[in-house]
Amino acid sequence: MQKWRFTVNKFKLIVLGSFLILFAGCAGISEEYSGGVSSEPTDKSTAAKSDDQTLKVAFDQSINSLDPYGAHNGEPSTVLASRQIYDTLVIKDGTDYKPRLAEEWKEKDANTWVFKIRKGVTFHDGSPLTAEDVKYSLEQQVNSEDSPLTVLWNDFEAVEATNDHTLTIKTKKPMGTMLSNLSLLFITPADSKNDDFYEKPVGSGPFKVESFVPGESLILTGNEDFWDGAPDLTKLEFVNIPETAARLTALQTGEIDVTWTIPADQIAELEQAEDIEIIKTPSYLYYFNWFNSSREPFDDPLVRRAMWHAIDTKTIVKDLFGETGEVMSSPIPKEVFGSSDMETYAYDPELAKELLAEAGYPDGFSTSMMWSNGGGPQILQLAETMMSYWSEIGVQVEPIQIERAEWIEKLVALDWDMDLQTNSVITGDGDYTLGRLYISDANRNGYKNEELDKLLIAAKETTDQAERQKLYNRVNQIIWDEAVGIFPLELKQIAAIRTHVEGFKPSPSDDPEFRYVSVKK
Amino acid sequence: MAGYLIRRILYSLFVIWGAVTIIFFVIRVVPGDPATVMLGTSATEEQILELQKELGLNDPLLVQYVNYLKDAVNLDFGESFKLGGSALDHVFYRFPFTITLAVTAIIISITVSLPLGILAAKKSNGIIDWMISTTSLLGQSLPTFWVGIMLIIIFARFLGLFPSGGSGSIAHLILPATTLCLPFIGMIIRLIRNGLLDELSRGYVQTARSKGLKENSILYIHVLRNVLIPVITVMGLLLGEFIGSAIIIEVVFSWPGIGRLLVDSILNRDYAIVQASVVLLATVYVFLNLVVDILYGYIDPRIQVEESR
Repeated sequence: MQKWRFTVNKFKLIVLGSFLILFAGCAGISEEYSGGVSSEPTDKSTAAKSDDQTLKVAFDQSINSLDPYGAHNGEPSTVLASRQIYDTLVIKDGTDYKPRLAEEWKEKDANTWVFKIRKGVTFHDGSPLTAEDVKYSLEQQVNSEDSPLTVLWNDFEAVEATNDHTLTIKTKKPMGTMLSNLSLLFITPADSKNDDFYEKPVGSGPFKVESFVPGESLILTGNEDFWDGAPDLTKLEFVNIPETAARLTALQTGEIDVTWTIPADQIAELEQAEDIEIIKTPSYLYYFNWFNSSREPFDDPLVRRAMWHAIDTKTIVKDLFGETGEVMSSPIPKEVFGSSDMETYAYDPELAKELLAEAGYPDGFSTSMMWSNGGGPQILQLAETMMSYWSEIGVQVEPIQIERAEWIEKLVALDWDMDLQTNSVITGDGDYTLGRLYISDANRNGYKNEELDKLLIAAKETTDQAERQKLYNRVNQIIWDEAVGIFPLELKQIAAIRTHVEGFKPSPSDDPEFRYVSVKK
Repeated sequence: MAGYLIRRILYSLFVIWGAVTIIFFVIRVVPGDPATVMLGTSATEEQILELQKELGLNDPLLVQYVNYLKDAVNLDFGESFKLGGSALDHVFYRFPFTITLAVTAIIISITVSLPLGILAAKKSNGIIDWMISTTSLLGQSLPTFWVGIMLIIIFARFLGLFPSGGSGSIAHLILPATTLCLPFIGMIIRLIRNGLLDELSRGYVQTARSKGLKENSILYIHVLRNVLIPVITVMGLLLGEFIGSAIIIEVVFSWPGIGRLLVDSILNRDYAIVQASVVLLATVYVFLNLVVDILYGYIDPRIQVEESR
């Protein structure tokens, strides 16, 4: 064996060598990866001088896919990215819809919709956008096997590109949700079939994809040729900062400009910071606690109502959620089309006990409640508070906190007594939640009611929106009075921006449009 | 020596295979699978069954396992259902970030603990010695994620010295690497201190002293290099430890390394990525161990590797 003397010189060499490797590593990384938060901490003077309009956005979820028809298109992060890269035929504006790629539309008959597609729109690669592209996109969505939004198109019959700028959609039954569905149908070029298209996709939206690392970062650049005028921003970066404290620090130091989903206990501190502005808006996100109506004792509406009366929703919202929540007045949030304004169940433990006695449970009963780890803001505290209220009327609840993957499995299999969760009405139309979750056939919570089914189907198959609202009012009343679940609160979206950001308007479904945003110089 | 090497390599392969096997079954035993996660809450049971069939999740577990091993031997670790594309590509993309973090942590460990270790040995049982012991105990007992968040709040938010997270420059490395090595610095300081004290009581030191050599020359020229042998060994093992324990730190500092990828993939039941990451981590760990063992023999010829009989 060769003798190998370890000398000080060799030690120096090793240290030097490892430094070299390190620097080489860093250099390599910064070349191929620039998705993280920028290297310079805040240097306000240079930021003011430069004319580049760069905006950095971080939120608590990662963008995993840019495929607008795939398994991810129910995820807010994918919808958010799609909103910037692609365009839609129409866009939701309050409870109405405004033209985008579709200049105008009409219902030729109850089952035929004709859309006039805007002329002169091009994709990022320069090719023109035609009715064929829209047809392709719609067919991709309708035939997608793993997209959670495919169900929206159950009544779809056929789509036809009558000519380059006319599109005809035929439905099996009248479709009251046509426009709301189309506001989530992102248009891609008709030839985007190859597998790696979505690694760097091409759309016709206000921003082009510069680079995308799934689960990590997305960098977009402004589309000079956007049909409705180029956006002010030249660069738009989305980064993933999963840790809340780190995310809020990055906002305070100016490493990021915009973030949302701010926990209730952090708002006060951020509000004090001079260069940060807090924006609170209603959202499509809300909490519900379902009862499994196919299991005893929740097959009895008296028991379900008793459970609701046992809970002091107003106090819970005030104490736990403060400004981030609001007591619900309907089984769907206020901002969603189809919501009603009803009186919430009064906190009345005595009445709750009477109802339980009437149902045959004078001494209460034991049951369980499941929720998923991280399934909503302060979900653990909410669950604990509800359980302690219930113990006061003699109902002992076993808490089952599980990981999301396991929770989904149990939820879908109807293997639970009570289920606490948040839910988002992503389309902004009541049908997405009411029609999908409360119809007997769906059997999501064991509750079955023929009258409700009829109303839900009628609301779905009516294109007269005023008529639909009336039908949903009756739907909401039934779900409310029958206490299919407890609907404690809807959540507000709390966004925080640095004050130099102008024109940012948060969206109730977490997919704000950044084309209107600019950075003040 | 050759026989020893072959035995060690075979043993390493066995360890890697063991890790793959355990993770393969463990992640399939926990409730929830890619099909349920993919389809989410709006899925019907039929849809889930359909997708499970499509993904091959309905085959008997052993069949899946054998197929998986066959592909793995050909370095095909499957496709990521969550992120799309080859799982190995994602893992290899992230791995250099983790390595960079771990190497930086090693460098910080050395630069901090070497002078402090020497200082502690020189003034053994003095106030400095006591302070170092206390601080190192503190470093070991504080939870990593908390230390990480504290460092962000102090050094990024209040002092504005370093970025709060992300990657892209050397400044981004400092806070996560410091958090990573903090629990171990105390141990390394004590290793150096005790090693030095041990050596200083040896015969050759007395000889050197009686020869009239200055105390500093004895320390730096003769004693230190003998002490460095175990230190280098520990560093090699620590590198493996750092790579493996970077998970929490990568989440706190939004560092795009393999640990964060692994956490996300476990939550999403992204089997392909979980398995590919574990294979890579196990391989690196085993390889580092092997290198340290072999180097050890070279650095100190008194330690002879056992020849195969």
